Amino acid sequence: MKLNKLRMRETWVSYCFLAPVLIFFLVFVLAPMVMGLVTSFFNYTMTDFTFVGLKNYIRMFTDPIFLKSLKNTLLIVVGSVPVVVIFALFVASQTYEKNVFTRSFFRCVFFLPVVTGTVAVTVVWKWIYNPLSGILNYILKTGNIIDQNISWLGDKRYALLAIIIILLTTSVGQPIILYIAAMGNIDQSLVEAARVDGATEFQVFWKIKWPSLLPTTLYIVVITTINSFQCFSLIQLLTNGGPNYATSTIMYYLYDRAFKLSEYGYANTMGVFLAVLIGLISFAQFKFLGSDVEY
Amino acid sequence: MAKKKWTPFSVITIILLSLLTIMFVFPFYWIMTGAFKAQADTIKIPPQWWPANPTLGNFEKLLVQNPAGSWLLNSVLIAVITMLLVCITSSLAGYVLAKKRFYGQTLLFSIFIGAMALPKQVILVPLVRIISFMGIHDTLAAVILPLIGWPFGVFLMKQFSENIPTELLESAKIDGCNELKTFTSIAFPIVKPGFAALAIFTFINTWNDYFMQLVMLNSRNKLTISLGVATLQAELATDYGLIMAGAALAAVPIVTVFLVFQKFFTQGITMGAVKG
Amino acid sequence: MKKKLLSALLTGAMVASLGLGSTTVMAAENTEITWWAFPTYTQENADDGLGTWEQKIIDAFQKANPDITVKLETIDFSAGPEKITTAIEAGTMADVLFDAPGRIITYGKSGKLAPLDDMFTDEFVKDVNNDALLSACKAGDTAYMYPISSAPFYMVFNKQMAEDAGVADKIKDGWTTDDFVEVLKALKEKGYNPGSFFCNGQGGDQGPRAFFTNLYSTSITDEAVTKYTTDDENSIKAMELIKSLIDDGLMLNGAQYDGSADIQNFASGQTAFSILWSPAQPGTQAALLEGSGVEFIEVPFPSDDGVPALEYLVNGFCVFDNGDEAKIEASKKFIQFMCDDPEWGPKDVVRTGSFPVRTSFGNLYEDERMQTLATWTKYYSPYYNTIDGFAEMRTLWFPMCQGISNGDVEPKEALTDFTAKANETIAKAAQ
Repeated sequence: MKLNKLRMRETWVSYCFLAPVLIFFLVFVLAPMVMGLVTSFFNYTMTDFTFVGLKNYIRMFTDPIFLKSLKNTLLIVVGSVPVVVIFALFVASQTYEKNVFTRSFFRCVFFLPVVTGTVAVTVVWKWIYNPLSGILNYILKTGNIIDQNISWLGDKRYALLAIIIILLTTSVGQPIILYIAAMGNIDQSLVEAARVDGATEFQVFWKIKWPSLLPTTLYIVVITTINSFQCFSLIQLLTNGGPNYATSTIMYYLYDRAFKLSEYGYANTMGVFLAVLIGLISFAQFKFLGSDVEY
Repeated sequence: MAKKKWTPFSVITIILLSLLTIMFVFPFYWIMTGAFKAQADTIKIPPQWWPANPTLGNFEKLLVQNPAGSWLLNSVLIAVITMLLVCITSSLAGYVLAKKRFYGQTLLFSIFIGAMALPKQVILVPLVRIISFMGIHDTLAAVILPLIGWPFGVFLMKQFSENIPTELLESAKIDGCNELKTFTSIAFPIVKPGFAALAIFTFINTWNDYFMQLVMLNSRNKLTISLGVATLQAELATDYGLIMAGAALAAVPIVTVFLVFQKFFTQGITMGAVKG
Repeated sequence: MKKKLLSALLTGAMVASLGLGSTTVMAAENTEITWWAFPTYTQENADDGLGTWEQKIIDAFQKANPDITVKLETIDFSAGPEKITTAIEAGTMADVLFDAPGRIITYGKSGKLAPLDDMFTDEFVKDVNNDALLSACKAGDTAYMYPISSAPFYMVFNKQMAEDAGVADKIKDGWTTDDFVEVLKALKEKGYNPGSFFCNGQGGDQGPRAFFTNLYSTSITDEAVTKYTTDDENSIKAMELIKSLIDDGLMLNGAQYDGSADIQNFASGQTAFSILWSPAQPGTQAALLEGSGVEFIEVPFPSDDGVPALEYLVNGFCVFDNGDEAKIEASKKFIQFMCDDPEWGPKDVVRTGSFPVRTSFGNLYEDERMQTLATWTKYYSPYYNTIDGFAEMRTLWFPMCQGISNGDVEPKEALTDFTAKANETIAKAAQ
């Protein structure tokens, strides 16, 4: 009884502390979530607001452009997540055992695109990729690798790849820092002992280092997946989803429907879908990768 | 470990690292040099690796013909105010989530964690509605307020608050401190590094956020520097000198902040993750 | 506990002040209106920034009407339309918009605009004396756009490059599709970058459409503007020609450029031609043209019979109904000033770089170039930009062009599919 009284008091105090966050959370996160869910069942445009049940959902799964955008989104995720993990692991392991200066130099190098900012990075890449005045075509032509200017962002063979490359440069900074930190937590005496016992570097990595890097890897996979799913600004600034929706992602298509054609209800349907998808994938990744992870 | 042999692997590593370094640094270099090239020089083939006729004309155009001064100011205002509000609200919330036992705690924390995975963009359309209902669309508040509700900071500050020794809090209570006093004098000094990390993290993220600004701001002089650069890019697609000058204005302050506060930043990133 | 409350209050106050800080306190009796302008005006000097002329005419208006304050916002063609949609949804739309019928009529049909019927006085209608143009400003019988000027659009070549390739004399009014292909070949021989069949987005998409219809004398819609006819035999032939020009490197794949980017590529001397140009462009692009020293040849689109069919742009103003009568009235007054003021009206027309819709303004341009361009009005074709569902049709057009340019689909299949979907948009929008 006394305990409960104490807890009641704690509860009262706690909610006072939580109040500022809770208010903002309710108004600007939870309420729009609920509104988004509800309006996804409406034909909601600039002039109309009528209940249509599952019609938006049916339309979504039969909309070839949506399906193409879904495919592109998944391609971006599949194309970027493993590369980010391997890349970050490589850089971190190669720089971790170097001196402090080298380590912090590389940390800065790979973090530079992140802090330069998405828009600044994107506009400079747009220039680099420009078929007429871009330096990429110039270098490749000078090196006799190509003989015709390539329209990197206008050619469906290259456009998505060109975007993924920029996405990669802005995505590896954080994982590298995480890995370097995680490597600091590895029990060095175990590593030394294994080396004394004649274990190869690969064995040392696989048997000793990797298990302790697993939680970090899991976290990196989850945040990179979520970030890749949200890929929007690159597309809005570089290709507008073109050519012929070859670089359209769900996020971009959602924006396109909502703010170019005022199909708000349909856009919210895609939003609900995306939220569910990200939720499921994050959950699955925790289940799958987390099965032998100790916290 | 000190003895390094030149193996094929280490040679490849060095080459690879050098190439990657170029790939990561070159865009920044290209922004900084491009900013000082006249429009006609930026489209020349072969390109000028270094501005042949360095000019300040681009910056003049930015500041005189475009309200780049206001854009910068708006970016600073948005980033600083968001940073302060997020840090204050999050450290209060993180503290009780870590150190108190109260009804609804688990549920609340799960909701926060769940919402963290949710992309902001998903709730975009309703959010614009709410913001316009409040009559603050196209004001800086429209960008700032929604960011405060985002639970990442709460999560980070909870992680840091776990470090506060419970005994200290108990003894403060015995000494007759009230709750707020306990927080400010006992808990806060301990979570200060986390506070700093969250501050710098929020600052950089807010500065570089584009999406929220894109849908919330309209008027030309209320844009942020990122949004302003994006607008210039749409208006004057081939004036790369001008666009790079804008990109430089957007990037330099934040790169500086990063270099100066690198330590806190690294700490923030690692604390948010590894202890999960 | 009190302190906690206090801190919460403080936070609240900070938040509230953020919102309030941006609302300007208005003096009594003063009406403030906002004007959003696409970069349609040409500035008086190449060095003038965007909006310099606009601000000048605002100052003149405010001097004559001290009780009205006009705030200017410049927007661009690529992100502007989204901004307008967002602002309409958010209830922060401007009062006055300077644009063309394509979008304006769509907003009108959605009930977002104030009708301007009272501005279409007998005097005005008589003065304009052009039924096609007047009906372009209306949805049904309701007028939503008050027109100020109009001009044809056509294409442009780099004079120095054409001369170097020895084909400058071929590029002239009355030329044919075959001449055009020969010119492109000669330019390629000399190693010049061609212009693009641009289709990155909606910006300037009327150019490629007009280019496409001229090649084999087809049209986007039927004569009465009731349905799309872009899938007939000659249309397919035209698109196949475009596709082969792109494949042969005679035109650039334009999936990466929109109209303004393509025009700027041309004006900065990077490409040999552009399929979108208008009388105002030399003014709009003055800085780039001066910097690059590019001289240009203006020419109607090539067609198989040598008789082009030119589309035209109409510049005009609309008023958004933001529920405030005073603002609507003030906006109308402002529009009237810009279009009809004896002193500022003609000046304003000149800055749009186009021809006045009011015949009473007479000939505002002395130079030979504008005289020649004025004669091209005889090539005007039916105006289809006010057709139901036009906005949605535009979102179908550029992905189709991108698909064709990239070899995703054959021109025939793409056009058939496009036409069917485009026709559906008419039915859908008419509901």
